[in-house]
Amino acid sequence: MLDFFRDGFYKDLVLLLVISIILGAAFSQGVAWAIDTYFGDTLDQMIGEYGEYDLILHIREEAKEAALRELQRIGEQSFPGYKLNETLTIAGQANVFFGLPPQFRTREVLESITSYFGAVPGLNGYTLMAEPSVLIRGVHPGVREELREEIEELKGVSFTVKDGNNLVVLTEKEDDLPQVTAGIEGILAQYQILELRFPMGFEVDTQEVGNKALEILRAQESSASRYANVTSAQYGEDLDAFLKTLVEMRDFLGSYASKVRISPSPGISLSVGERIVLEAVGEMQEELIIEVTGVFGDLAEGMIIQGSPVQSMDRVVQQGYRLLGEGEQGDYIGEVEIENERYRLAYAVDESLRLLAELEELAVQASSAVDNAEAVLTTFQEALMQLEVLQVQMRQLNEGIAKGDAKSSGEQFLVTLLLNGLFQTLAQGVIHTGEESLDSLQNLDIEEMRSSLDGISTQIANVQEIDVAAIMEQIGFVRDTLPDLSDAEIGQSIRLINTYLGGQVIPGERVQLLIQGEAPNEKALEKIFQTELENPYLHTYSTSAGMVSPDARGEIFRILKEVRSIVAGMLAIIFTMIVLALDHAAIFSTLKQLRAGKKARTKRWMRILDPLLLFGGVLGSGLLTSIYYLAKGQIPFFSPVVVAALGFVLGVVLVVFAERFSPVDSMELMAGQSLGLSNVQIMREVVIPPSRPGLLNLLNRFKQQF
Amino acid sequence: MLEIRDLRKSYGKLTALAGVDLDVARGETVVIMGPSGCGKSTLIRCVNRLTEPDQGSIILGGQDVLALSSPELQKFRRRVGFVFQQFNLIARLTVLENVMFHLVLGGMEREEAAERALASLDKVGLRAAADRRPRELSGGQQQRVGIARALVTNPEIMLWDEPTASLDPILVGEVLEVMEELVKETGTTMVIVTHEVSFALRVAHRIVFMDQGRVVEEGPPQEVFAEPRSEIAKLYRKLLVN
Repeated sequence: MLDFFRDGFYKDLVLLLVISIILGAAFSQGVAWAIDTYFGDTLDQMIGEYGEYDLILHIREEAKEAALRELQRIGEQSFPGYKLNETLTIAGQANVFFGLPPQFRTREVLESITSYFGAVPGLNGYTLMAEPSVLIRGVHPGVREELREEIEELKGVSFTVKDGNNLVVLTEKEDDLPQVTAGIEGILAQYQILELRFPMGFEVDTQEVGNKALEILRAQESSASRYANVTSAQYGEDLDAFLKTLVEMRDFLGSYASKVRISPSPGISLSVGERIVLEAVGEMQEELIIEVTGVFGDLAEGMIIQGSPVQSMDRVVQQGYRLLGEGEQGDYIGEVEIENERYRLAYAVDESLRLLAELEELAVQASSAVDNAEAVLTTFQEALMQLEVLQVQMRQLNEGIAKGDAKSSGEQFLVTLLLNGLFQTLAQGVIHTGEESLDSLQNLDIEEMRSSLDGISTQIANVQEIDVAAIMEQIGFVRDTLPDLSDAEIGQSIRLINTYLGGQVIPGERVQLLIQGEAPNEKALEKIFQTELENPYLHTYSTSAGMVSPDARGEIFRILKEVRSIVAGMLAIIFTMIVLALDHAAIFSTLKQLRAGKKARTKRWMRILDPLLLFGGVLGSGLLTSIYYLAKGQIPFFSPVVVAALGFVLGVVLVVFAERFSPVDSMELMAGQSLGLSNVQIMREVVIPPSRPGLLNLLNRFKQQF
Repeated sequence: MLEIRDLRKSYGKLTALAGVDLDVARGETVVIMGPSGCGKSTLIRCVNRLTEPDQGSIILGGQDVLALSSPELQKFRRRVGFVFQQFNLIARLTVLENVMFHLVLGGMEREEAAERALASLDKVGLRAAADRRPRELSGGQQQRVGIARALVTNPEIMLWDEPTASLDPILVGEVLEVMEELVKETGTTMVIVTHEVSFALRVAHRIVFMDQGRVVEEGPPQEVFAEPRSEIAKLYRKLLVN
């Protein structure tokens, strides 16, 4: 086989390989570059050139026009020389790019975006995209300031900006990014957050446990230089709060919904999730469908998932039937007791409003009644005093009559006698009866009664001072704001919340410890903490204090770069296959033809390893590997070994099917040999010219004589 | 001129040549006859190493053919004319180019090569067809081009591998006629593999019969056909008589 190349064709082959590799790499990388450039330009048109904009403001679509006017106003007023560009609107959200003039690209401005843009109509938030920058995600608040200080000392760093849990590190130049990124990664590697997580239900004093955990850590042999308790309630609590709110919401809805208790008949067993149908009764529009939510011995609880129960303060007992799959009513299962809590609540609220209205009126009337009573008491007291005076006078008169008047005339005597008799009668009546009554009247504690009336009056005044109208208004507001949900809707909501909560883990308490220095062996520490803190359910997790990640644009360009590498890699493979099929197939086809007339292979390795297959494999491997890596191809899972192996396989396949790819006329070949042509002449004049058009054919035209 | 000793060639389990010994003298015309598959074509292809024998020796003009290096072999082949059964013309070249191209590739000036090619075509009566392509010619004409191509180098020896086997019977005559003239006029050493008994009788100095990879009988045509010893010779004699 080597003879074939020795007489000069090896030059042609080497030239072919070199040009194939160069062309293949140029073609693959060129096409990939074109794709990359196209997408890159498209991206630039969409989101501006590198560093052109600093913010993406997310604005509700319907408020876009007003928002743009406001942004222009803010720009002119606060950031003269600003840039504004409205780009894509996605899912009802317009995205507006805002570029700050260089003098305003400061930490102060970038950390006060909300104060500048908070009043923009329809603003749904913003994304910081100041460039060139390195984004550190999930920076723990306990080390943020420390990290900031260290990072800002790095060469090339302009300043850092806090953006939620992220830290944006702005560099002076784009070229500084690699070294700054490396520097940040080096700093972050020095900080580890060791988190101790306690299961739900464990109430933990994070400060106390944190300090104890620190002692435990310090007692370990470690190269860590510093430990600190950095437990933060704010850190990552949003989801917890949301989940807890959902749980509360579910509980509220559960108590707001009608209570359904099922008493299964003897022999009937119910299971959770089973459905029961109740016939429509009274004002019910449709039958009720109940889902069993719990079974407790002989009783079961359920939830209405379809229909509305009777509006009644009383418990309503109905007969329940199993709901079959097709919506048909099945067997009788027992009595179902429904308490319409929602109706009861609404009824109670209405009654409260009524009571308050009556109370206000009652207070007014009571106040008037007390006033009247006080007036009566005063009149009574005055009357009593007059009676006392009268009693004294009567007594004096009576005494006078009893003594007689010697100086009186006969007329006077008669008048006196008559008057005396009258007054005596009166006086004695008054004195006798009047004294007893007056005594009893005098015994009445008028002052006490007045004091009581004053007390009642004060209380009534207090009642009147109460802003009943405000109470009524608020109760009315509560009544109006009570969820206007039917039982079916409540049931569906609870099911939905349960579905969501079912896939979520509601974390318990946690303690976060900062470890500066060597990363801890979290699994070894977990056992130590479980023992020392006497909590076998405790788990430890070690995380970085922050994670460097490309910014939004960097991420897109990284993906584009990956796409480019994949395209380049795939094109390299395709190009290699084409080159092998069009050019090298003719060579191997010729070699196979020539070998047919040769002596049988005598060397053992040749019989086992066909040299031609081996050569084809090596050629294919070399060709593909060279083109692939020169084209900067990078396909996932295609390691150098895989690429070389693929090339080898392609080469072997080429050798096996060479005659099919590029048949060689054996008659012409034999004629060439018999005429004393060298192998290179045979190739150039006999084999290549009629072969498939390709690089070999093209290059051969410069050497071909006929 | 040509000495072949104990020449052996196998294709896997199939033995094509089982130890052939053959001598051809300068200027001699030897016709090799035998049934299909007896090794005739393999034998003459071994002579210019179109087929590599497994064993034996071939001495041509005092040169050990099997010991030749690749460049030496190429030079050697230019001294040997070979006419194929299937003509083996280069389809993309004209008749003239087919006849001259190896001269040019061998270093000859184009004009001189063309002159010699035309002269060679003259010998086979195809000068007029010089600019035509092989596909435009009849089988007999194509074979005559093949003959012209073999002759153009003035070879020391001509090897003919059943030159008429692919031709219609009507066309066989024109080729045999050319061959016969060449044998008579050029005096070149020729080894011809053919089944044409009458042609062999007319032109051969010696006929060699082969069977199962061996030479079974040889001798002047009159002798071998007069008193054939081998079965093959007897069969050919019968053909001649019929």
